[in-house]
Amino acid sequence: MASSLRGVARVQPNSKTLEEARSRTFDFFKKACRSLPTVMDIYNLHDVVTVSQLRSSIAAQIRKNINVTNPKVIDMLVFKGIEELTNIVDHAKQRHHVIGQYVLGPEGLDKDLGMQDQGSSHFLKRFYETNYF
Amino acid sequence: MSFLRALRRVHPLIRANFSNSRVTSRWISSTPDLHNPEAAAAAVPEPEFRPRTPVGGARIEIQNPDDSVEVFVDGYPVKLPKGMTVMQACELAGVDIPRFCYHSRLSIAGNCRMCLVEVEKSPKPVASCAMPVAPGMKIKTDTPIAKKAREGVMEFLLMNHPLDCPICDQGGECDLQDQSMVFGSDRGRFTEMKRSVVDKNLGPLVKTVMTRCIQCTRCVRFASEVAGVQDLGMLGRGSGEEIGTYVEKLMTSELSGNVIDICPVGALTSKPFAFKARNWELKGTESIDVTDAVGSNIRIDSRGPEVMRILPRLNEDINEEWISDKTRFCYDGLKRQRLNDPMIRDHDGKFKPVTWRDALAIVAEVAHGVNPDEIVGIAGQLSDAESMIALKDFLNRMGSNNVMCEGNGLNPQADIRSSFLLNSNIAGLENADLFLIVGSQPRVEAPLVNARIQKTVRATQAKVAYIGPPANFNYDHEHIGTGPQTLLDIAEGRHPFCSAILSAKKPAIIVGAGLFGRKDKDAIVAAVETISKLGGVTRPGWNGLNYLLLNAAQASALDLGLVSSPDVIRSAKFVYLMGADDANLDDLPKDAFVLYQGHHGDRGVYRANVIFPSSAFSEKEGTYENTEGCAQWTIPAVPTVGDSRDDWKIVRALSEVAGVRLPYDSLMAVRARLSRVAPNLLNVDARERSTISEELRPEFKQKLSMAPFGAAVENFYMTDSITRSSKIMAQCSSTLLKK
Repeated sequence: MASSLRGVARVQPNSKTLEEARSRTFDFFKKACRSLPTVMDIYNLHDVVTVSQLRSSIAAQIRKNINVTNPKVIDMLVFKGIEELTNIVDHAKQRHHVIGQYVLGPEGLDKDLGMQDQGSSHFLKRFYETNYF
Repeated sequence: MSFLRALRRVHPLIRANFSNSRVTSRWISSTPDLHNPEAAAAAVPEPEFRPRTPVGGARIEIQNPDDSVEVFVDGYPVKLPKGMTVMQACELAGVDIPRFCYHSRLSIAGNCRMCLVEVEKSPKPVASCAMPVAPGMKIKTDTPIAKKAREGVMEFLLMNHPLDCPICDQGGECDLQDQSMVFGSDRGRFTEMKRSVVDKNLGPLVKTVMTRCIQCTRCVRFASEVAGVQDLGMLGRGSGEEIGTYVEKLMTSELSGNVIDICPVGALTSKPFAFKARNWELKGTESIDVTDAVGSNIRIDSRGPEVMRILPRLNEDINEEWISDKTRFCYDGLKRQRLNDPMIRDHDGKFKPVTWRDALAIVAEVAHGVNPDEIVGIAGQLSDAESMIALKDFLNRMGSNNVMCEGNGLNPQADIRSSFLLNSNIAGLENADLFLIVGSQPRVEAPLVNARIQKTVRATQAKVAYIGPPANFNYDHEHIGTGPQTLLDIAEGRHPFCSAILSAKKPAIIVGAGLFGRKDKDAIVAAVETISKLGGVTRPGWNGLNYLLLNAAQASALDLGLVSSPDVIRSAKFVYLMGADDANLDDLPKDAFVLYQGHHGDRGVYRANVIFPSSAFSEKEGTYENTEGCAQWTIPAVPTVGDSRDDWKIVRALSEVAGVRLPYDSLMAVRARLSRVAPNLLNVDARERSTISEELRPEFKQKLSMAPFGAAVENFYMTDSITRSSKIMAQCSSTLLKK
C-alpha cells in the first residue's frame, strides 16, 4: 500500500499553468479519498467517524487555500498534503493524531460546547478562550 | 615650521609632494593661519552658534542675571549662575564629559580624574566636576591634552581592574567598559600583577567583587547621603584603598539596592540577578511599582515570559532615580505560588481545577442565592482602578453596596480628597522646614518618602518630631510621644513642640495610614486638624497636612468610593475577595461563601471556596494612584500565567454569567467609565488637587482612646502577596531585620 504512494511523493517539476496545478490538486484529493478505507482500518476509526466525514474534512482543508492562485504555491501545498497523506497511510501517526486533527478539528472538544455559549456576548466567548483580546 | 620639516623627513609621500615646487607652495599657502592667530581671526567669519542640545535634557534657570557668568565650551558660549561647575557648563553646551565618581545626586568627590578638561591659561587640566566656573573661562574638551589626560586616567584605572568582562554581570552596561572603548588606549603598559581585594558580605541583595572596584566612592556617598546609613566607608591608603564596612556588617538600608545602579563598574552587582541574564537580551517595559503607595517608576526587564529584574526609572517628582529594595527584588515572588487555573474546593477540602465556564456558573449561582445586602466585595491592596470600578459596578448591580478596599479602615473619608492624600506632594516635602510624623514609620511604610525627608533634613536641618511606637529613623528626630495624649497636648498648646510649629515657615504633618484602622480615627484626625489650624500648616501656597498611605490601591479606592465599613463582614454570606489577603475574616460566618480572585496562593486562599486566577501587576495594564494623588499606568511586561485573566475581565465575565452584564467590553470602555466616576484617574502623571476646602468636613464628636499608636508595617520586606511569596524577601527579612 505504502509503496504505491511512494511514487507520488517524488518531487515533480513545477506546474506550468494554473490549470495543471488545479488538476494536480484534484489528483491528490482523489488519491486521498481512495486511501480513506485503509486509513479507517489501520487507525480503527469505524466507531468514531465515517468515510464521508473524513472526506469532507479533507475537502475543507483544501478549500481553506481556495484563494491561492500562484501555481508554485499550489504545488507546494499539494506536496505538503501528499507528505501528510503518506505519513498517515504509512502508519507513521497514531490514532489520536488522526482523531485530533481530522475528526475533532482545531477547536477540539470545545466545538460541541458552542451550544452552551449561545446567547452570550462576544466578550464572554473570547474570555473563555484567552486573556488577550 | 619645525614640524613641517620633521614631516618632510618622515613621510615619503609628503616628501614626494614637496619635491614638486607647485604643490609645496600650495600646501604651505593654506597653513599660515595656523601660525598667525590674529590673521586667522580676521579672516575667519564669526562662527555661528546653533543652539545645541544639552546632555540628558539639562536645563538651567538663571534667577539673578547679575550672578551669572559666561563661559565658552569649545568656543560655544554658555551662560550659567556662579558656583556651578565646569562639567555642568559642558553639559549645557551639549558636551558629555566622561566621569566615574561624579553623580548629580551625590556630593562631589573629584577623585576619579576622568572628567579632566583643558582650561585656557590653567597650567594643568582641571577636574571639571569639582571646578567652579569663572567668568570668561575658555573650556576645551576635545583637545589633545584633554584626550591624553583621559587616556592616562583610563590606563591607571585599568592597571588594577581585572579583565573579566566576560564573566562580569555589569558587562554591557558598564561605564568603565564603555569609556575604555572610547577614551582608553589600545594596550596597557603594566606588566605587574593586578592587586586583589577581599570581597565583602553586604547581605542577600548586593553581590560584591571588590577587585573590580575603582574607588569612585559613589556607594559610600550614596549610603551616607541618600540612604542615611553610615555603613560603608573607605579603608586604607594608596593602592591598599578599599571600600568596606570595617567590621563584618551587612548593609541595613531599605535603599541598599541602589548602590548596584550607582556603581560604575561591576564591583557591586545584584546578587539575585547574578549570572541570570545579559542586559542586551532583556526587554524593558516602563511600568509602575505597586508594593507601596509611592508608585515608584520602574523598568521591568524581562526575558520571554520571565521577569528578570526591576530597575528604577527617573521621575523627579516621585522616586528621583531610586527605588526601595522591596520594589527591586520582589520580582521572584512573581513566579512562585502563582494561581493558574480556576479552582473549586471539593467536599474533602481540596481544590480541584475546573474550567472558567464551570467556575463562573457556580459563583453566579451562589451569588444569586444570597440576599443582596449579604454580598461583600473587598479589593486587595494591589488592585488597579479598573478592576475596582468593575467590582463596585458588579456588586451595585447585584444590589449590594458593601464594597471596600483593605487598609482603609472604618468609615473612610473619601469626600474630600485632601483628607487622604499626601497634599504637599513627595517632591514638595523638600520645602518643609519642620515635620511632625504622627503614627507613621516612613522608613518602612514608604522608603522613598522617607528619603525625601532625609534629604530635606540633611540639606536644611529641618526639625523632625515623631509620635508613635519606638521606630528606626535615619535622620535626627525627636521622639515626643507614643500616643494620642501627645497629640492632645500639642493641640491644646501645652506641649513644648507648639512653639516650634508656630515658628516654622512651612510645617508639614504626616499622618500614617496605619491609624485608619483605629476606632478613634476621626478623633485623631480632628486633633491633627486642630494642630494644623493652630500651627498654620495649611496656608495659601502650602498645604502641609499630609496623609501617607500604605498600599497602591488605597487612593484610587477612595476616589472610586469603595468606602463601606469592614463591619458588614459579620453578616456576609458571599464575600468577593479581589486580591484581598490582609482583610480580617475572623468575624465571617462559617457558612459564608468566599470567592478569591488573585494571582498568588496567599492568605486569602485559605478560606476561599472558589479561586479565580488573575494577572499580577507585571502582566496587566492598570491605573494606580499613588499617595500624592498621581495616577500612573502599569504596562504588561510578561504574559499571564496559565489560564489567568485580567481582574476587570473576570468581573465583567462573571457579571454576564450572573445576568447583570456590565456595559464595558474593552479597557478603553472601562476607562470611560472611570472618567465618569473619578476623572482624575485618567490624567496620567498629573496630580489633581482637591478644590474643596477642609471647612466643609463634618464635625466629629468622638472620644480619643489613649491607646498608643501601633506600627503599621511589621516586616518591611513582606507586605503583600507578591513579596510574601518571594524567596529573596524571605532571606532579607531573616537576615536584615533586627529581632
